[in-house]
Amino acid sequence: MRSTRSLLLPLAVTVTLIVAACGSNQGDNTLTLYSGRSEELVQPLIDQFEEATGIEIDVRYGESPELAATLLAEGEETEADVFYAQDPASLGSVAALLAELPNTILSSVDERYRDRDNRWVGTSGRVRSFVYHTGTDIPLPQTIDDVTNPAWASQIGVAPTNGSFLAFVAAMILERGEEATSEWLEALAANDPVDFPANSPIVAAVDARQIDGGLVNHYYLLRLRAEGAGADAENHFIPAGDVGSLVMPAGAGILASTSNLETARRFVEFLLSRQAQEFFATETFEYPLVEGVEQAEGLPPLSEIVAPDIDLSALSGVLDRATELVAEAGLV
Amino acid sequence: MIESPARVSPNLGVKRRSPSSGRGWLWAASAVLIPTLIPPATLVWLVASRGIDIGIPARRLTELFVNTLGLTIAVTTTGLLIGTLTAYVTARTDISGRRAWMLIAALPLVVPSYVAALTIIGATGPGGVINEWLGWSIPTPYGFVGSWLALSIFLAPMAHLTLVPALRQIDPSTEEAAIGLGASRLKAFLTVTIPQARPALVAAALLVGLYTISDFGAVSLLRFDTFTRAIYTLYVGQIDRTPAIALSLILMVMAVAIILVQRKATTRATYYSRRVSTPGIFKLRGWPKVAAAGALAVYTILSLLVPVGVMARWLIRGLGAGQGVDQFWDEAARSIGVAVAAAAVAVIAAFPVAMVTARIKGRGAGLINSAVWAGYAIPHIAVGVAVVTFALRAARPLYQSLALLIVTYMAMFLAQAMGSAEDSLLRASPDLEHASRGLGSGPFATLRRITLPLARPGLLAGAALVFLSVMKELPATLLLRPNGFETLAVRIWSATGEGFYTQAATAGLVLLAVSVVPLLAVTRRDFSD
Repeated sequence: MRSTRSLLLPLAVTVTLIVAACGSNQGDNTLTLYSGRSEELVQPLIDQFEEATGIEIDVRYGESPELAATLLAEGEETEADVFYAQDPASLGSVAALLAELPNTILSSVDERYRDRDNRWVGTSGRVRSFVYHTGTDIPLPQTIDDVTNPAWASQIGVAPTNGSFLAFVAAMILERGEEATSEWLEALAANDPVDFPANSPIVAAVDARQIDGGLVNHYYLLRLRAEGAGADAENHFIPAGDVGSLVMPAGAGILASTSNLETARRFVEFLLSRQAQEFFATETFEYPLVEGVEQAEGLPPLSEIVAPDIDLSALSGVLDRATELVAEAGLV
Repeated sequence: MIESPARVSPNLGVKRRSPSSGRGWLWAASAVLIPTLIPPATLVWLVASRGIDIGIPARRLTELFVNTLGLTIAVTTTGLLIGTLTAYVTARTDISGRRAWMLIAALPLVVPSYVAALTIIGATGPGGVINEWLGWSIPTPYGFVGSWLALSIFLAPMAHLTLVPALRQIDPSTEEAAIGLGASRLKAFLTVTIPQARPALVAAALLVGLYTISDFGAVSLLRFDTFTRAIYTLYVGQIDRTPAIALSLILMVMAVAIILVQRKATTRATYYSRRVSTPGIFKLRGWPKVAAAGALAVYTILSLLVPVGVMARWLIRGLGAGQGVDQFWDEAARSIGVAVAAAAVAVIAAFPVAMVTARIKGRGAGLINSAVWAGYAIPHIAVGVAVVTFALRAARPLYQSLALLIVTYMAMFLAQAMGSAEDSLLRASPDLEHASRGLGSGPFATLRRITLPLARPGLLAGAALVFLSVMKELPATLLLRPNGFETLAVRIWSATGEGFYTQAATAGLVLLAVSVVPLLAVTRRDFSD
């Protein structure tokens, strides 16, 4: 008797806790979001939306390509209504599952930062940057090829498995072709870079001068400063107009299989609202993509960054090839 | 029902009756094992149906294999050394405060490997806490060294917990005899104590080795390229899942091979109602005493004070910089809820399995035991990859459901629940059950009045172990959690990836605080005299 009772109690506690913690009820007033952007970055914004509209959002957080693969595997039976991804490549790879967006949504964003077939729209901009220690005496790279210069040997941090780095390599394939990209990756590998699991530890390592420079996205330094460090590191935007300063939007698309089209549109519209765009500028330190919203302090205007001219819609076609080339070069 | 022989002669009765009641337990145990067989079956089926061309160069596979195996051997060796030292000093010597030390040396078990790695990164380097407090900086040991250190320090408690009860059961008279015959204390330890503790040492090596081969958090954060890290990278970074599935199968085969080697090396135990003798306590004098106390102190600093100190420092630094800190109530509730549910399911499932392996035995029992251990051995990242694919293709209603997550936890950690239950049943003689049946009680009354109460401490200890494992589990949770079901482990992982160290530290401290409770329950049982 005692043993059965001792098992029943935890079971009862469990059921209560799970019901309390989960509380997912499907209906018109709920939306399922697959977010390749992390909870830390976007949950506060989602909370704002829920509060303002009374709509409940169930979020599945993951890496963008992972969620894209999940969507492809789930097909039309997916529960997801909206896919919110870090990068155009992930959005592009599920384009066939996405519904065409209305002009009211598309028109607020520059056409460089949205899909040519109107399946997804950029919501905030992230720029590839070269983060460096302010005390370094090595000349800063003027093109992306300069990072393979022996002066930077053993001094450059890379995150070869990170989605942003892979998207950058994919962009290089589009710009230069596979062979030239392979050569660049091999030259980088030969320069003995220090590999990291993600961007933020690169920035921390540069700030601590374990290394002098690193290939990252621009906002990680601002993020580190918000944590109370990062005073000895600075962002450098490679001025050559090559993929070193790729501007890559995070973006969103609506699943064609949704039974919640109106609510899904409201959410995407919300991501482009002034409230959300200001959140990106001040909280995640990204570039707002809608006209008339001020960017974060201390960043050059997006128009001053010499970005390459790349068809972001085509990135998805070469993303897996980019992963393979990075592995073949021995960077992972 | 005519069962007169049982009333006359219990032994005869058991022989006649066991086929029918035994078959019931066998069926129940086999049913429980279905979830543990799904991941290996799925992986084999997927790789077989997609062909073996996985597009990964042989050079890369060799590198992953060498790294994974090398780390496993290194961590098993040092983890076992540290665990043997802490267990011996706290269980068999008169070092002051030994009961407290015995508990303290078990506590690092609550620290998940990804938190361990995180604190190594946060403590070392020019920006690290060590430099901030002591004024000299240690370079961050990325790669093999860091992973080896983190895993050795934080897996040693597995060996400690296994060895403490074993060392205390060794009859001190044999050691005293050896010393009386002129052997040194060290020689007596090596030639008398260690051989007697061999089954426990093999069990501890297996636990540490399997955990290492399966570990994902430490090698990912400390950048050591093993199979688990490569599988996760491919899974989340590539649209095509074939390479991740193929690597998962290879890793699974490696883990199962370790189990098979271990099974060759040991035989099943039978020790009904063995009397635990009073453990022999050696008096430590002079430098061995100082060295033992020093070693315990250093281990405690590295395994407890550093992680808690580093996380507390991050929390304070973040608060100072004006960072808002989430409360993590929801995440804690989900982690606890799912861990309690998995522990309850695992204990219920473990009981028939333990009845088969401890009472019925025979060929079927051996197979069932192997299957349970295989379920424990298969690295969680591989289980996650397999179960996601299985649910998508063959069990759609279960896909992304809480039920599937809980059943998967049960399959992964059933061995922990079974081990404790089996241990309790082996300690209690089946004669009591025979007597109950012989005195006219039915099988259910015997189960309820005799067997369950006897197995109860083991079942509860097993539940605590499963709870602890589920709290810390990361890779399978990342892949299998329902939409919106963020646990503490998931939040620590994602916060670390995005550089939100204040959040990661807060969630980490909450996780440690919650995990200490079941660990205390386990140690109270294992360490009581």
